[in-house]
Amino acid sequence: MVSKKSCLREPLIIRTPEGLYCPKAQAYIDPWRPVDCALITHAHADHARAGSRLYHCALGGEGILKKRLGEHGIQTHAYGEVFLLGGVRVSFHPAGHVLGSAQIRVDDGHSVWVVTGDYKRDPDPTCRLFEPITCDVLITEATFALPIYRWPAMDQVMDRLFSWWDHHVRNHRTPVLLCYSLGKAQRVMAEIRNRSDRSVLVHSAVANLNLEYEQQGIELCPWERATETEKNTSTDLIIAPPQAADSAFLRRFQSTELAMASGWMQVRGVRRRSTINQGFVVSDHADWDGLIRTVKDSGASQVYATHGETRVFTRYLNDCLHINAERLETAFGIEAGTDQ
Amino acid sequence: MNFVALFQALDTSQSTNSKRDALIAFIRESDPLESALALEALTDRTRGKRLKPNALKQTAYLAFGEDRWLFEECYSAVGDLSETLAILFADQETSPGTTQPVLADWIHRQEELGRLELGELANELLSLLKAFSKDEAFLFLKLSSGGFRVGVNKGLVHDAVAQAVSMDRAIVEERLMGEFIADEDWLHRLQSPVTQDELDARPLPFLLATPLIKSDLTSLDPSTVLVEYKWDGIRAQLIKTRETIRLWSRGDHDITGQFPDIVDAATTLPSQLILDGEILAGRPDHLQSFSDLQTRLNRKRITYNLLKTHPVFFRAYDVLRSDGEDIRKKPLIYRKGVLATLAVTQSLVTFPNTPEQIAAMRESAREASAEGVMIKRRESHYVSGRKVGHWWKWKLDPMTADCVLIYAQAGHGRRASLHSDYTLGCWTSDGNLVPVVKAYSGLTDAELKAMDRWIRKHTLQKFGPVRQVEPQQVFEIGFEGITRSKRHKSGLALRFPRILRWRQDVGPNDADRLTHFEALMKDSHAV
Repeated sequence: MVSKKSCLREPLIIRTPEGLYCPKAQAYIDPWRPVDCALITHAHADHARAGSRLYHCALGGEGILKKRLGEHGIQTHAYGEVFLLGGVRVSFHPAGHVLGSAQIRVDDGHSVWVVTGDYKRDPDPTCRLFEPITCDVLITEATFALPIYRWPAMDQVMDRLFSWWDHHVRNHRTPVLLCYSLGKAQRVMAEIRNRSDRSVLVHSAVANLNLEYEQQGIELCPWERATETEKNTSTDLIIAPPQAADSAFLRRFQSTELAMASGWMQVRGVRRRSTINQGFVVSDHADWDGLIRTVKDSGASQVYATHGETRVFTRYLNDCLHINAERLETAFGIEAGTDQ
Repeated sequence: MNFVALFQALDTSQSTNSKRDALIAFIRESDPLESALALEALTDRTRGKRLKPNALKQTAYLAFGEDRWLFEECYSAVGDLSETLAILFADQETSPGTTQPVLADWIHRQEELGRLELGELANELLSLLKAFSKDEAFLFLKLSSGGFRVGVNKGLVHDAVAQAVSMDRAIVEERLMGEFIADEDWLHRLQSPVTQDELDARPLPFLLATPLIKSDLTSLDPSTVLVEYKWDGIRAQLIKTRETIRLWSRGDHDITGQFPDIVDAATTLPSQLILDGEILAGRPDHLQSFSDLQTRLNRKRITYNLLKTHPVFFRAYDVLRSDGEDIRKKPLIYRKGVLATLAVTQSLVTFPNTPEQIAAMRESAREASAEGVMIKRRESHYVSGRKVGHWWKWKLDPMTADCVLIYAQAGHGRRASLHSDYTLGCWTSDGNLVPVVKAYSGLTDAELKAMDRWIRKHTLQKFGPVRQVEPQQVFEIGFEGITRSKRHKSGLALRFPRILRWRQDVGPNDADRLTHFEALMKDSHAV
């Protein structure tokens, strides 16, 4: 339960065994158990779970949500469109995380609360840029809330990716980039398209989501399902989810060279502990600067941190920025190093 | 190609072949001074620290001011001090140059920094780091603090050098061993004829034993081997040339200076001699433990008092050169004959008739303060490296104990952010858990990950990066020796402890008591 000292009135959002809950709207945010009414920030599996009666999500995200949850009652809302739930004004706003991802704003006329969901501040050709929202209380993620996490510019990352790719093709090895099939894969493909006429082969998990992205008008580099090629080597980059690292899917190709695109690749030890040789720092989460900027932009007088390095982040906000901050222990709380 | 490019190639590869190729390309293409300094770093020859870890920490504290705790959080998440500073302070947006040599300049800067007073040093280092790319800053700091590891061993480096200059590997290895002068002429010197005198003072590549597998024992004909105790000391070559006496340890480190007593004792030996043997603590008739030997290592000054309280001696078991003649190609039995003519402490040799006699000798090893037996083929030559079929080591089974996990801490390097460093304890007579051992290895990656998850869920308290966990998990630990220690809470110090097994079959109450260790200590004579 959100502490009461934070807000003299009844808190607008509280913690329940089902997840974050807005009692006045009778709606849950990213619930992890089936409920009547669920507001979904984005379609990643730890945020969107099946079984609820009615889902609300941002326009653009419903296709992916359907793929993940099956055909359900899904209501979509344009970014910024206000709808009423039990007299509470609810709206979705761009979070910049993946296609259709949203921050959720709730306003009961007395106070405004914002749940960021997962977000990033950096531009991404596959989704709308994060929009800062002014609020009284901000519930923010804190996955990468340590000063060591500062994301390099995409130009630099892509330069490195291309030279790594070319290097291994020259040495007759097949380059494989491991990344989340929803969001990260498409972002990398769109960045490739913006810089070259290179093409890629993709795992079927990525292919299915690619179709959805393209249907929404997102332009990706040319791609083909890897299962459709007869060859056992490839000069095209293969894009696959991390789970495919040690699977029959990759064993078809001879002498593969693995790389991972993730924010965790910022730390050398994380990569070296795995069997992956190369790492590219690409994250769909806010980095340290992005998190702090978001708290400042919101003007919130009370901040709750959820996911990841919440302990460090809340201490920093309290001690160094003098903003009231508390940790929000959630059942989906993930500690550093074990993300998803 | 410069050192940064070499590092990037080595760091992003796990295949020995591609690492070797990268090294060869680097040696051929880079500036010779750059490759000389790189060789020094890669073969762990960089002596001493140009910048102390404390200097690195003070630099970070300077930058973080009152938020020092925030830096400690970063360090704990990264697991490596140099890398933490590189991530925090280097310019993330620049890419490192990969052609211009860097090492000579870096070493010069490090020496300059090292001369500064701490506050000034921190300021200077901070502004220096800001001008570096992340990889450059990381390497600069790693090299300055003397703890550089990038997954290439000395053998691989020697391989690559030999291939790069198209020379015989054995010659290259002998020439690279010993004192290596890192300057722009190293490649010329390497390829030029060397005088016999210079060669004489250098150690020869050690013959290393392979572990005995039970099936080896049944297939071995006892009449073809000899057996001697395996001693728990420091393997070394004692070299006497016409003019000098040198003592070399296996890492090609000249350790002559650490052991003046051994040098003294060797003055009566004939010159032009190389002995292979073991440096041991105590006296031949009364051995002391390895921890006593450790107090003699890495001392700035060896005092008269230390020589008295911690005597050492050299026990020889092979002769590689006698009267100037290289006898490595003679059979072992011949070399043993030569050794017997020398007035030097040597290993007792037995000639077994049956496998049972070998096993019996191994059984008696602990009583003799040895850690097992060596089985050597009587006709074997003294070859270089770890070759199967010449020498076998058959160690005693380790002593074991079941201990309870009390604290866990994230590891470093490859294990950063996985809780892989365990402190384990046993029960005292009044029913408390007292820490007895810290162990880092022995679990599979899958077990480590499972334990990591368990630790995160069952943390009672956090002390910085250390988590105190519920005393539930039991591990069987193995160790080679046990001695009294004033520094440890339990009063015990274990030699070479490691986790043998995760005892998921027993509960914490079934773990061993302190009395178990006391009994082991009495049995093992090592007090």
